[in-house]
Amino acid sequence: MAARSPQRSDAPWPSRGGPRDSARVIGVGLFLAMLGLWQLATRFEHPEFILSPIEIAGHVVEALRSGELLAHIGASLVRALPGFVLGSLVGVMLGLLAGVARSLDQLLSPVVFLTYPVPKIVFLPIVMLWMGIGDPSKIVIIALACFYPCFINAYYGARRTPTIMVWTSLNMGARRSQIFRKVVIPSSLPLVFAGLRVSLALSFILLFSTEMINARSGLGFLIRQSESSLRFDLMYVAIVAIAALGYASDQLLLLVRRRILVWQEATSR
Amino acid sequence: MSARWPALASALRRAALLAAGVLVWELVARSGMFSPIIVPSVTRIAYQLWLLAIQPESVVEAWYSVFRALSGFALAAVVGVALGVLMGRSSLAAAFLGPLFSGTYPIPKIALFPIFIYLFGIGSLSKVVLIFLECLYPIVVTTHAGSRAVNRVLLWSAANMGASRTRILWKVVVPAAAPFIFAGLRIALPIAMIVVIITEMISSADGLGYLAMYALASFKTDRMLAVVVVIALLGLALDWLVARLRDRLVFWERLDAYYAE
Repeated sequence: MAARSPQRSDAPWPSRGGPRDSARVIGVGLFLAMLGLWQLATRFEHPEFILSPIEIAGHVVEALRSGELLAHIGASLVRALPGFVLGSLVGVMLGLLAGVARSLDQLLSPVVFLTYPVPKIVFLPIVMLWMGIGDPSKIVIIALACFYPCFINAYYGARRTPTIMVWTSLNMGARRSQIFRKVVIPSSLPLVFAGLRVSLALSFILLFSTEMINARSGLGFLIRQSESSLRFDLMYVAIVAIAALGYASDQLLLLVRRRILVWQEATSR
Repeated sequence: MSARWPALASALRRAALLAAGVLVWELVARSGMFSPIIVPSVTRIAYQLWLLAIQPESVVEAWYSVFRALSGFALAAVVGVALGVLMGRSSLAAAFLGPLFSGTYPIPKIALFPIFIYLFGIGSLSKVVLIFLECLYPIVVTTHAGSRAVNRVLLWSAANMGASRTRILWKVVVPAAAPFIFAGLRIALPIAMIVVIITEMISSADGLGYLAMYALASFKTDRMLAVVVVIALLGLALDWLVARLRDRLVFWERLDAYYAE
């Protein structure tokens, strides 16, 4: 896939004011236009559960000021972050190792690829049964879901290491551990980051759904609670917080990726 | 392991691993370390699985789940491929839709589910809409990448031989992007299964997700695990179907991977 990416042929250092900046301008403009349309539409008769953007913004500021929202965000992050870190760390390490070591490959890959299409959320009831309905069961499910994309991407990344590079470093007398650290890991990093990005998105999906199913705190719980008590203002506040959290963490990951993969012109999507 | 039969060898390895896993589970269950509610034995799970298979009402529940997952997925496939090809071949469409998709991509769409319940009711429609939305993104992204990467020489020669724009789209762009499209479909299908189970667990009175939560709430762990096995098998079977369809349709090239860059 990478070899055919059209951006490759462009200049290696994109100048400011290039196509990406104009895309950003169009994107922001489109977003504002949609908000404006929404605001206009709420001037007409509408069901009670639809609020206008200005109302929602007011409620968000209010909830932030009272500190209630921050407590729920904190509770959600305490579940999502350990799960994401644990699952993706184990996934990337095992994936890279399975990509280079045949014995591990034959032991692990069949299991991982066989169970990959199974929706991991089905294990939530079992994990709840074994670990209780508290935070550990949510962290385990998030880690489990994050493990798969990371393993698979790291596995393919390691296997796609150009043979010539391995031969060259062997020729220059590199040891196996050196080749792993200096050749295999850098060359698989682009795919590893792609896997991390998928895992990050998955971790948020699972976080909010586990919180909606059972929790006493967190943004998913806030949505559920406000929905059932017809507090639509709080519901929108929680939704905005979730969207902002998902967007911010994704941008953070992309930033880290741009920092680490300086040699690869990060193809944004 | 014989080098002459690599497929057979890997199938045997999988079967051996599976058998080992089942054996360990049964030994743990029989050892008496845990109560049968925490770890029910394999035989009891198998018995519940048999009950699920012969009870018509549980088959109906499974059908609800599959129907929701597949209708959302099919809608997303049709719309997503159309949008992706459009974005890949028209710079205007890419300029407008590109930022829209990349901006909303990292936002967990599941947060919108409560609004969807109010908008579309608590039945199937709200779930199908959410599945459609979650599946749309990977399909659009991969189709976009695929239709951008079409070999120019093919486009030029088709145009040179007098093909119209729509004809080029159908006969050159879509087939050339097909490996990418199928990669996107294979990413989207497990997502459809995840979302259908989640939404049924959160709010539903039917479907397999509801069945699992109901069995758990009534401490019928063996039945819950049987439902989990059914969901897992369904996920595997649907993925297998998409992979076989791809092998038939895209026989010349494969992106045999679950990843997209």
